[in-house]
Amino acid sequence: RKEASCLELALEGERLCKAGDCRAGVSFFEAAVQVGTEDLRTLSAIYSQLGNAYFYLHEYAKALEYHHHDLTLARTIGDLLGEAKASGNLGNTLKVLGNFEEAIVCCQRHLDISRELNDKVGEARALYNLGNVYHSKGKNVASAGTHDPGDLPDDVKNALQKAANYYEENLTIVTELGDRAAQGRAFGNLGNTHYLLGNFRSAVLAHEQRLLIAKEFGDRSAERRAYSNLGNAYIFLGEFETASEYYKRTLQLARQLKDRAVEAQACYSLGNTYTLLQDYEKAIDYHLKHLVIAQELNDKIGEGRACWSLGNAYTALGNHDQAIHFAERHLEISREVGDRSGELTARLNLSDLQMVLGLSYSTNNSMMSDSHVVENSFNGTRPRAGRRHSMENMELMKLTPEKVQNWN
Amino acid sequence: SQPLAGQQAAELQSKVVPSKQILHSDNMEMEPETMETKSVTDYFSKLHMGSLVYSCTSKRKNK
Repeated sequence: RKEASCLELALEGERLCKAGDCRAGVSFFEAAVQVGTEDLRTLSAIYSQLGNAYFYLHEYAKALEYHHHDLTLARTIGDLLGEAKASGNLGNTLKVLGNFEEAIVCCQRHLDISRELNDKVGEARALYNLGNVYHSKGKNVASAGTHDPGDLPDDVKNALQKAANYYEENLTIVTELGDRAAQGRAFGNLGNTHYLLGNFRSAVLAHEQRLLIAKEFGDRSAERRAYSNLGNAYIFLGEFETASEYYKRTLQLARQLKDRAVEAQACYSLGNTYTLLQDYEKAIDYHLKHLVIAQELNDKIGEGRACWSLGNAYTALGNHDQAIHFAERHLEISREVGDRSGELTARLNLSDLQMVLGLSYSTNNSMMSDSHVVENSFNGTRPRAGRRHSMENMELMKLTPEKVQNWN
Repeated sequence: SQPLAGQQAAELQSKVVPSKQILHSDNMEMEPETMETKSVTDYFSKLHMGSLVYSCTSKRKNK
């Protein structure tokens, strides 16, 4: 009776998770665990699904706990395939938690067992996961400093190169298997890895493949991702017109998919691209669109960046009134969110504008001597507040003349 | 001081906008993770399918 009850609860949990309601699924799985079962394979399946449900709910500590239980259980009962799966899931969870070294060990275990069992599908999936761990590791170290794509310390480069190698290995197998969906994923992440390595042409080639496969599947989210990544790569190739076309496609799809945060992101990218093209009217148009959505989403950091960008664009047009308005607003928001570097930048902008207009601004001049801080520790003082996750990845990028030939 | 203001405005333009700095969004779009899945029914079907198939076929035979 107990066994039946546990199984029934678990089956309902599975059904709910498959239907996309992980929260309700978790309740049923936890109830199933409460009831308990003598059948360790059933329990292993429940732990695994609980781990995955918590992973999708972004509750990674819980996900870690359950995948760990699953791994222990799989080892206890000598279920090698089960151990491989649990290792892979644990690896993915550790990666998200930033524990890259342990994540690598787990994903490598997934890979070793898959090869031992001659499980090609498992092997390919383990290679993809390993690629992801090395990509995250590289990106994580890179974001600790202020680097442009392609301008990286050796350890970052090594991690990213390993990621690229794992994605290539994965691609060889999934191509043999004819798994187009898996190819799409590998091309997308391979493209992003090339982008970080500064191989922008290779990035474009990979993202073009990703785009092709997304269209084959009618997967509009993947299509949108590809457009956005292509736009980013073309920016660094100095081909701003092409970049703007891809960002426009991104914007179009974001609107169709009714994703306001992504729509804002696309507007922001377009604003920056038109700034690079020195078409400041269009830049202002897109930055204003970005501003409206940032305000709507109560994304203060995004709003601050919009004001910063608008201040610059209006200055370029010689519209100093508007420039001052947005520089002041930028200063206000920077103070509000505790963004010290943003505050210093805003003060500098205001002081510059004040100089031109001959206005007397009550700028605290003692702050000015700190202005070098803006340059050196922009990322270090980056605030963590704000609700739009997509906007937290903004970096102050220094576009060097070699990369941006079309500048001026 | 008119030419001076003009000069300053020109300096300002070159300083603020084409400062070789823009707030660049480094928002790469990553592909989703793939998680390995287990199911109680996978195991259940392997474990019990034999007896289940047996009971179904025997029922059919009985009809």
